[in-house]
Amino acid sequence: MTHSSQIKVWDPLVIFFHWSLVSAFVIAYITEDDFLTIHSWAGYLILALLVIRIIWGFIGSHYARFSHFVYSRENIMQFLKDTLHFRAKRYLGHNPAGGAMVILLIISLLITSVSGIFLLGAEENAGPIAHWFVQAEGFWGNALEEVHEFFANFTLFLVLIHIAGVIVESLIHKENLVSSMLTGFKPEKTK
Amino acid sequence: MKSTIALSSIIFTVGILSIPMVWSDNDFRWEKIGNKSSALATTTNPVYKEECGSCHMAYPPGLLPAKSWNKLMSELEHHFEDNAELDVQTAQSISQYLLTNSAEQTHSRDAVKFFQSIESSQTPIRISDIPYFKHEHDEIPQRMVIKNPEVKSFSQCNACHAEAEQGYFNEHEVNIPGFGQWDD
Amino acid sequence: MKNTILLITLLSSFITGFAQAETSTVKNLLTVYSTQGATTADAQQGKLLWQKTFPGKGEFVDRSCTNCHTDDLTQTGKHIKTNKPIKPMSPSVNPQRLTSVKKINKWFKRNCKWTMGRECTAQEKADILVYIENESKF
Repeated sequence: MTHSSQIKVWDPLVIFFHWSLVSAFVIAYITEDDFLTIHSWAGYLILALLVIRIIWGFIGSHYARFSHFVYSRENIMQFLKDTLHFRAKRYLGHNPAGGAMVILLIISLLITSVSGIFLLGAEENAGPIAHWFVQAEGFWGNALEEVHEFFANFTLFLVLIHIAGVIVESLIHKENLVSSMLTGFKPEKTK
Repeated sequence: MKSTIALSSIIFTVGILSIPMVWSDNDFRWEKIGNKSSALATTTNPVYKEECGSCHMAYPPGLLPAKSWNKLMSELEHHFEDNAELDVQTAQSISQYLLTNSAEQTHSRDAVKFFQSIESSQTPIRISDIPYFKHEHDEIPQRMVIKNPEVKSFSQCNACHAEAEQGYFNEHEVNIPGFGQWDD
Repeated sequence: MKNTILLITLLSSFITGFAQAETSTVKNLLTVYSTQGATTADAQQGKLLWQKTFPGKGEFVDRSCTNCHTDDLTQTGKHIKTNKPIKPMSPSVNPQRLTSVKKINKWFKRNCKWTMGRECTAQEKADILVYIENESKF
């Protein structure tokens, strides 16, 4: 299966994390509050995955570390400009935009799942912090609902941009990034 | 499939999320989890359905607290300007059903919210007087309910909530006669 | 003229007599009512009582059986407050009517009290019962 000069970029944990997150987010988004138990479990799972990924981002493999793919604002803007002019350099790990997307997604998902836990407590008297909201006023429930819904949809929005970015990168540098996230391997050189 | 890890992570996720569907501690799990998780229990007692559903919909017992059901059952002769008297045996059987399934006994999301919105000093006998009920219906214009000859009153749950007697009041399944689907 | 009226009256009572085939439920109840003081049940009197208006309190000032059941027993009625459809009273259209003593007793108690402010007398119940039973044959 390995051609000559294929490099292992994504380690098994990253691959596992990515696709579990995709499944859990899809399930959470579809179930909404019509199937609340499954929805909440999906949320807890997402939170657990995020925690693992964040830790891994500090102690994990080379390409998985935040230090490797978090670039400065200038770098990110320059990369985006270069992409528009079809002259961006190809990166083995996350490119600057991709790296920024990882961070944005992690933050958005964190806010979504944490607000979800709070919302569960406020509106449904369920979940780990339900007892905080026993005497709470309706205002909290409504505010949390707005926050949770906004960030859930914002995450979806980010996901769509992420997919678009993956497609653009794959086309420009003539590589299959989806395949790479499945196998972990990328060709050493492209074009 | 190009990656066993990817495949197994998807299977793992779906697997974990099906646990709540198969491991649950109440009899309504398919209704609550597999179907509509906010549902109150379906009104199943046939005596209650027949006697208390002969003039209006048989309201799910989870909508009122025990103290309210007790009050209603003790005032059947003056039941909202009608007479709903029952013989002692039937009345007792119905009371028992109501008290066993009243709002504080039911764990469904809606029942809990109904119950918690009622102040301890109040004993509402109209479900539509309960603060949570009013909150949920406060965006609906008068012309759609009170001035709507096909509905007339908020007491007619099943005019707009087709499966009200089964305990389903999902906001996405509200159809107001003469006005169509209600978009929240 | 007097003879014509007499003839018509005789004929109607004759026909009415034939028409008064009673179910066992009704028979049982009529027996009970007669022990409570009722004389021969009269469907005409029952009809008059059915259509009479009584004074009421609150939202419903004029009360009558026809409020919910209409004055045509073969038609579907409607609860005056909840709008819930009430199936026709006439057994000729709705065979389940007048088959349960318990039900008849229950509804007499409730509805007489609501309409008239008191329970119906044994005579009134007897009259109404035969009126309902024979309505379609008039």
